[in-house]
Amino acid sequence: MKFKKILIANRGEIAVRIIRACRELDISPAVIFSEADYGSLHVRLADEAYLAGPAPALESYLKPERMIQIARECKAEAIHPGYGFLAENAGFAEKVAQAGLVFIGPPAEAMKLSGDKLDARRLVRQHGIPIVPGSEAVASDKEAKEIADQMNYPVLLKAAGGGGGKGMRIVHGDAEMSSALRGARHEAKSAFGDDRIYLEKYLIKPRHIEIQILADAHGNCVYLGERECSIQRRHQKLIEESPSTFIDQKLRQKMGRAAVGVAETVGYVNAGTVEFLVDKNRNFYFLEVNARLQVEHPVTEMVTGLDLAKWQIAIAQGERLTFTQEQIKPSGWAMECRIYAEDFENNFFPSSGRITDYREPGGPGVRVDSGVAKGSEVSLYYDPLIAKLITWGKERVEAVARMKRALTEYKIAGVTTTIEFHTQVMENPRFLKGELSTQFIAEEFIPENIKYPVEPKELELLAISSALVEFWQTKKSSTPFFQNGQHKSNWKIQARQTALRNFP
Amino acid sequence: MNIEEKLKLLRQKKAEARLGGGEKRIEEQHKKGKLTARERLEILLDEDSFEEFDMFMVHRSREFGLEKQQYPGDGVVTGYGTIDGRLVFVFSQDFTVFGGSLSEAHAEKICKIMDMAMKVGAPVIGLNDSGGARIQEGVVSLGGYADIFLRNTLASGVIPQISVVLGPCAGGAVYSPAITDFIIMVKNTSYMFVTGPSVVKTVTHEEVSFEELGGAVTHSTKSGVAHFACENEAEALRLTRRLMSYLPLNNLDDPPATQSDDPIDRQEEELNRIVPENPNKPYDIKEIVKRVVDNKEFLEVHENFAQNIVVGFARMNGKPVGIIGNQPAVLAGVLDIDSSDKGARFVRFCDAFNIPLITFEDVPGFLPGKDQEFGGIIRHGAKLLYAYAEATVPKVTVITRKAYGGAYDVMNSKHIRGDINYAWPTAEIAVMGPRGAAEIIFKKEIAAAKDPEKMLAEKEQEYREKFANPYTAAERGYVDDIIEPKETRPRLIKALEMLSTKKDTNPPKKHGNIPL
Repeated sequence: MKFKKILIANRGEIAVRIIRACRELDISPAVIFSEADYGSLHVRLADEAYLAGPAPALESYLKPERMIQIARECKAEAIHPGYGFLAENAGFAEKVAQAGLVFIGPPAEAMKLSGDKLDARRLVRQHGIPIVPGSEAVASDKEAKEIADQMNYPVLLKAAGGGGGKGMRIVHGDAEMSSALRGARHEAKSAFGDDRIYLEKYLIKPRHIEIQILADAHGNCVYLGERECSIQRRHQKLIEESPSTFIDQKLRQKMGRAAVGVAETVGYVNAGTVEFLVDKNRNFYFLEVNARLQVEHPVTEMVTGLDLAKWQIAIAQGERLTFTQEQIKPSGWAMECRIYAEDFENNFFPSSGRITDYREPGGPGVRVDSGVAKGSEVSLYYDPLIAKLITWGKERVEAVARMKRALTEYKIAGVTTTIEFHTQVMENPRFLKGELSTQFIAEEFIPENIKYPVEPKELELLAISSALVEFWQTKKSSTPFFQNGQHKSNWKIQARQTALRNFP
Repeated sequence: MNIEEKLKLLRQKKAEARLGGGEKRIEEQHKKGKLTARERLEILLDEDSFEEFDMFMVHRSREFGLEKQQYPGDGVVTGYGTIDGRLVFVFSQDFTVFGGSLSEAHAEKICKIMDMAMKVGAPVIGLNDSGGARIQEGVVSLGGYADIFLRNTLASGVIPQISVVLGPCAGGAVYSPAITDFIIMVKNTSYMFVTGPSVVKTVTHEEVSFEELGGAVTHSTKSGVAHFACENEAEALRLTRRLMSYLPLNNLDDPPATQSDDPIDRQEEELNRIVPENPNKPYDIKEIVKRVVDNKEFLEVHENFAQNIVVGFARMNGKPVGIIGNQPAVLAGVLDIDSSDKGARFVRFCDAFNIPLITFEDVPGFLPGKDQEFGGIIRHGAKLLYAYAEATVPKVTVITRKAYGGAYDVMNSKHIRGDINYAWPTAEIAVMGPRGAAEIIFKKEIAAAKDPEKMLAEKEQEYREKFANPYTAAERGYVDDIIEPKETRPRLIKALEMLSTKKDTNPPKKHGNIPL
């Protein structure tokens, strides 16, 4: 079966990414949008756009029935959920299937098994794959405290219903538990509609490394190398790269096979990611399965040359993988910087507003996956990710050099972005050596050490000098007092006419 | 004396005159954050364009020992120069000489340039920094003031007059700026009042500071006396230059056109979505103005006074226009006493100086209330109506949303000689809001209904569908077209180009009797 039209149940850069895949496959893309997203880039690029509801995600992008209704009305054969929102909602996938539509993603069963972090942990452990020590869902503060005491603090609270850092909290002691648990539940509820929280031992300074997998519906499953995603803040990734400086071929194979094993265990089909934590002794622990196309998928695309979004659609159409594990030969180094509308000088505080000027970088080895354009409104309703900047180089050094160059070319005015932050990371000696951990930002970007691109004093001088230049430029008289020696004046003409009329 | 000596003497005398009250007083002036009379002219005028008159004029007072204190120029620098190459006459009072106080000679110097300006048809810009009348001269000084007031009045509507208040301006002296077209003040260093804090205290026992009683903030927000309040003198003088870029030299000439690089056919998709679906939800009218005019440049006049109406200058295809817009973001854009005054004065200025008017209308009506009625909203509202009706410059209206009741008539309706009146599809042109109308028309039905609230809602909806739209008005020709908001700029530019040779007159009269 080949799709003629796909409904993309998402927004922002990922909706744009999927529209591009559709275009290349000659499939007509339809999108949904909320009231806050009128005229946003994904709406402009799609063939059709449908209003899903008011600005809050719960009333628009998170409404399964509405998505299915729109898909039916516009006669789409399949729904692509993107990431976030309804992407890992097994109930939604089921409803889509019941409605006679194709859900572009893993089957609901596999998603339930892998999407529910607790079920996934249980299953994986049975298959002999190491996991981070942790608990089942906790019912009360008291229970949570007891478990945490047994495991020894610090512990990590995690949402059973989904990932992306939502509902995640580090807890260092009993005193913090109650409020952390409450906050985590609230966040998990609003992000996934599921407030179950479980505990995990918090590993000290691990690396966050994940394996991309691709499985078709005919029993073929391959891994596409790893992604290093250690640079995070608030458990949200900021910079990803592939390959990782830390992983050698042997470990890569071991982790890859473990990932494929996990996928097979849960009956996984379509693109997915198996996340691991790796400690300094290169021991790896299964963390979770991300049953979706991930934000950072472009780095894998860049090194493998495969188009994951297109493969997602192909697999959903029932096609077979056309290559084997042996044929996958990653080449070069890819790196991705997530451009958030956030102020890193102010603890990554979200910045909203209108993008008044926008210019994307270009040149060799540069790719921009963006969801915005000049004039776009960045609202506080949604994730502040506005674009992803990806570079590729033959070696890591080249990828970094290109990233640095591309970052300086990237101009976004109107909102504060993480571009300056990324520039500083690209110059950080520890980063350049590849000595990464999930604590990287906390250790390297303590407020006292933050370099400001322009010192306040310099800024003042700049303002004064530009004011002076402007002043002297405007002071030069711009138009001549008399034009061609003639002074065209109605005043003069009128006076002469009056004088003549009054002449006796 | 040989020629060398004569030249030397001239140079010496001029240097002396340029020093005003002397270096010590200049230093004091600087310490207060103020510039000298000549420094100010340097910022205001094009480089090397200033030509000075009456540098050697001195006062004629022989009383109180004044005859021993003679300063050439007598506390005011007068002459002409250019701003962006265009002729202006200027006077700049020198606080370092007798506190800038006005003597007979001082007044004569000002009158001289005003008379000259009226002959050649060029604006007068006054930089005011004066302690008031030269008391030692007595009634002669008062006579000097009156000579200036008369000239201000006669020049009103003939040449633009701008007053930049850069220091004290108290007592009778305030009435010269008051008659002029625009007053620009500087925060913390300039103040204007009829009677100062000490007199206020004696008479009304109120304790009040100079700044609070007559500072730039007070006059630009509360009283509306000042049109602009600036942070410092340089800003005030730069603003004067910017303001001049919109004004013609006199009432017979066109305002200065420039080459615009903003496409005349620029459509703004965002305008189609700018008016909220809920008619009670506010939005910022300035967002519309900025999207329509050239390069988003809008010089707002009276920015902080009576904010429920927005007035200011902009350009359309390079040609200056005056913009008047009801501001739904403040008091729902209702017309009240202050906003009517503000709007009326601006309309009349533009009309006097051939500046076409664009009106953006979203007005729910006049503000009800005791304060308003007692304060004479009838009298003040009538000014705006009068100003619009009397104006003969090209007048274009865009109804963005509400145009209710009498306020609809007032805001440059077709009936009072609006040349081109457009409505957006979101317009609601009706006698009143749907709810109020339903309450009156269906009073009995609502009272008799089982569920009056529901009945009212139904009737409100019925009225809304029937009348809260622009089509009824369009059927009568009260609007010339209903346009898509995004095409507002191209449509307005075409209308203004078409109207650029418009000729319309009022019956001959000495002057109308605007309800003051």
